[in-house]
Amino acid sequence: MPVRTAYSTKDLADAVDDLKKQCGAQKPRVVIYFGSAKYDPRELSRRMRQCFPDACLTGCSSAGEIAAGNMMSGSVVAMFLDDDIVEDAACAVVENLSGEISVKDALATLERHFQATLASMDLEKYVGLVMVDGLSGAEERLMEKLGDATDVFFVGGSAGDDLKFQSTHVSADGQSYTNAAILVLLRVKRGFEIVKTQSFQTTGKTLLATKVDEAHRQVIEFNHRPALQAYAERLGVTVAEAPARFFHNPLGLMIAGEPFVRSPQRAEGSAIVFYCQIKEGMELDILEATDIVADTRRAIAAAKAAHSTQGLIDFQCILRTLQLREEKRCEQYGSIFKDIPMIGFSTYGEEYLGHINQTSTILLFR
Amino acid sequence: MAGHIKQMIDSIIEQRSKGNATLALTTKTKLVLKGLNPDRFNAGSPDDPAGIAKVQAIAAELGVRV
Repeated sequence: MPVRTAYSTKDLADAVDDLKKQCGAQKPRVVIYFGSAKYDPRELSRRMRQCFPDACLTGCSSAGEIAAGNMMSGSVVAMFLDDDIVEDAACAVVENLSGEISVKDALATLERHFQATLASMDLEKYVGLVMVDGLSGAEERLMEKLGDATDVFFVGGSAGDDLKFQSTHVSADGQSYTNAAILVLLRVKRGFEIVKTQSFQTTGKTLLATKVDEAHRQVIEFNHRPALQAYAERLGVTVAEAPARFFHNPLGLMIAGEPFVRSPQRAEGSAIVFYCQIKEGMELDILEATDIVADTRRAIAAAKAAHSTQGLIDFQCILRTLQLREEKRCEQYGSIFKDIPMIGFSTYGEEYLGHINQTSTILLFR
Repeated sequence: MAGHIKQMIDSIIEQRSKGNATLALTTKTKLVLKGLNPDRFNAGSPDDPAGIAKVQAIAAELGVRV
């Protein structure tokens, strides 16, 4: 099989051997893994490197994992891709996300490996994965720099730590990093598809961000009024009731009819802190929730109908996972992927063209 | 004068997408995420100097000349 997946809930000492055993005799070209915060990230990276010395090896810490349609926690999941899916792969690290972000050296590393400039790469053959320290608060700046530098699509997510919000890690080729992002560039044999799915529709009500603190992901005023008050008024609720609506009524930047979701995290006085940046002058739609399972099922079915799918990676927002857990629908969600080799993890943010929230960004291999 | 900002935005999208419809949409998306919504400008939009400077700065970030 060109795509194999594995998972283990064992302790670190045995978990990597368990994954290796499930991989079998195959020598994968690429190994991607996502591990619970219960695993020491440095030790997990080191052991994975020992077990898969020849593979392009990358991963990150997570806030819940998914493999073979099972939504789990306290586990490590892995995907093994062979030459029939990925002809060549390389990874590079972008460090010091808290400083002035530069993707130049990392992209140069990838270009050297492939002996081709990014500008010359076939956009239907090359695709990137991006995994970011989920507590860096730097995803917007990173994705903007990446998007400025290349038209190659990068899809991924922000690492988690089982909702401890203490330390999140990304890893490449046996090394573990914080305050960093991993870029993985894949040359795929038969192509790929990216699905971005979020379960929201517009209410038709809009808010204009008129005063913001971008660095702290805070909106101080919408429509020249205190942000929380303006949000509450547009929803027809009181200011006191408004925070309870954040989860089901986030905001969306509407592009070609599709929302790029910006989720409110909390009220801070009369301001609202979001899980991603909103720039001054942005007009946003107030969204209302639809059905995660039905929407995701529809999106995956459409992708499968268009092309045969050999496997997929699901970068799913932790807020979606929490909602599925609360509604006891994890099994229903997992069943969408029962017949596809897949892994995924619950993220602290999703990446596709930019940084987004309450979304699943999914890479499908044809 | 009017419409210069719309022309500049169209030029950015054209230069980055080179006629590829998918890239035209992703470039438009990148612009919106940078805080510049192409749909908010048309041939009648005033040539506001601050707006022009903003578009020029974004063009430079995207590596194109307008």
